[in-house]
Amino acid sequence: MSDIIEIKNITKEFKVLNRREGLLGSFKDLFSRNYKTVRAVDNISMTVGQGEIVGYLGPNGAGKSTTIKMMTGVLEPTSGEILVGGSIPYKNRTKNAQEIGVVFGQRSQLWWALPLVESFRILRDIYQIPEQNYKDMLELYQSLVDIEPLLHKPVRQMSLGQRTLSDILAAFLHDPKIVFLDEPTIGLDVSMKAKIRTLIHALNREKKTTVILTTHDMGDVDALCRRIVIIDKGKMLYDNDIEHLKSFFGSYRTLKVRADGDLREQAEVIQGELPDMKVWADDEWISVLVDEEKAKVLDVLGKLQQSHSIRDMKLEEISTEEVIKKIYEEGVK
Amino acid sequence: MKRKGLRFYLRIYRKILAQDIKSKMSYRADFIISTIGMIFTNIAGFVSFWILFRSFPSINGWSYHEMLFLYGFSLVSLTPVQCLFDNNWSLRQYVYTGDFIKYCFRPINLFFYFQSEVFDIKGLGQLAFGIATIAYSWSKIGLGFSALMLLKLIVFLLTASLIMIAMQNAAAATCFWIQNSFYVLDLAFGMKDYAKYPITIFSTVFKFIFTFVVPIAFIAYYPSLVILRPDEIPLLSWLSPLVGIVFFYLSYRFWMYGAMKYSGTGS
Repeated sequence: MSDIIEIKNITKEFKVLNRREGLLGSFKDLFSRNYKTVRAVDNISMTVGQGEIVGYLGPNGAGKSTTIKMMTGVLEPTSGEILVGGSIPYKNRTKNAQEIGVVFGQRSQLWWALPLVESFRILRDIYQIPEQNYKDMLELYQSLVDIEPLLHKPVRQMSLGQRTLSDILAAFLHDPKIVFLDEPTIGLDVSMKAKIRTLIHALNREKKTTVILTTHDMGDVDALCRRIVIIDKGKMLYDNDIEHLKSFFGSYRTLKVRADGDLREQAEVIQGELPDMKVWADDEWISVLVDEEKAKVLDVLGKLQQSHSIRDMKLEEISTEEVIKKIYEEGVK
Repeated sequence: MKRKGLRFYLRIYRKILAQDIKSKMSYRADFIISTIGMIFTNIAGFVSFWILFRSFPSINGWSYHEMLFLYGFSLVSLTPVQCLFDNNWSLRQYVYTGDFIKYCFRPINLFFYFQSEVFDIKGLGQLAFGIATIAYSWSKIGLGFSALMLLKLIVFLLTASLIMIAMQNAAAATCFWIQNSFYVLDLAFGMKDYAKYPITIFSTVFKFIFTFVVPIAFIAYYPSLVILRPDEIPLLSWLSPLVGIVFFYLSYRFWMYGAMKYSGTGS
């Protein structure tokens, strides 16, 4: 497998004005040159092979979209090297654009008033897709999803799910080497999510397209990615197989209970009873992070029931955010 | 990848424009009302012009019909900015919401792609009105007619229109740096109202400003001298096509510079 993306020690810094508080402060800011440097991406290196699907994870503001903007050629790294398909993206923005497809979850790049098929025709011209390839691609699409009803519907009349689906199809239309998907399933219902995951998977398999997927939905990751990369505060925390990650964190589950009385006070009591587990509370639930290798969830629940009156409970698999939080707090062995 | 020449861009332009016109027409009531609005705006503009000149038969040696020619010239040369570069008015919105980034991912020129998306069909009414005004005043002044004169008229109209486009580009591009660029844009666009008067009626300071700083005198006054006063054409008139092209190019660079800088910081 040849490498399609090569990133070596890239760093991206932004200059941000130090804002002062209040009206007077804002007024002073007008004349201020008091900048601080924020490092959005800090010394990240990775290589991605042709045909891989990589889950690119991290909490909001971790530097994911900054990295993606550098890979798409919109941003120039402050330092470090980045090669996409053998060339430097920000120096060859238009050439690079020919080789990539981009989907931003909530922002459609299609023409609002046009039926999908007409958007496709404009894209065919913009990307100079040969007629035969264009036809083959439409046939492939037809075999994967039911696009007939979409083709003649103006984008503005589509549901969010249909629009996302259309955006993904549009991003793959010119058979790019890489497709960047930024939260493609955000805000969609379960069946639409499944449909979109299946589609991405099939297109990746058929066309050997590399897919860089950012998401907060562990379901996306489980369905699509063999490999995940996690960053937080601009630093890379993890880059390995998903199996590897699960072996560290898969045995954790979150037990959520509702008990009588003030939840936060209760949580402190519970923490006292379960000193080696993480316990926290929000407005609705008391959460206990249970390591199933050390204790069974049911035992923990039983223990809690003895001393608290539990009104309700639910069990959650560990979420991406929690995995990342854990990785960030404890690191990866 | 094939080379992307003028023909490529023309074809894309036609397709993308067609989509906008289609979508505009799909809101029929909106389309009709705004067309009527545009016609009335033109009539009102003409009526106020006519009232003004009924009491002053000539201004600084400019007769009523010559003034009318100037007026028509400015209307026509302001049409392209109205029709083809209307998306500049929305630029601020795209930048503010972050949607501007979608223009950065296509393998075609960013400025071209952005401007191609909107065609303001209302400008065509202005064009028709302007052409009629030029034709009427042309015959009244008795300029005569030759193919060369028509060619001159067209060339000077086209290059004059670049000035207003350049001003609007530059004004719109300020939104890459400042929050509320609407006022800059509105100010720049408001300047067009001074374009329909002969520059000789202004004081020396404004003459200088309108020629060298905010070059609106090149929108109608200098280029139309080539037609109206063929015996005493100043150098600046002959330079007006060059001024148009240079200013347009500078504004394009400025716009692109802003766009690159923006995508460097926005999220």
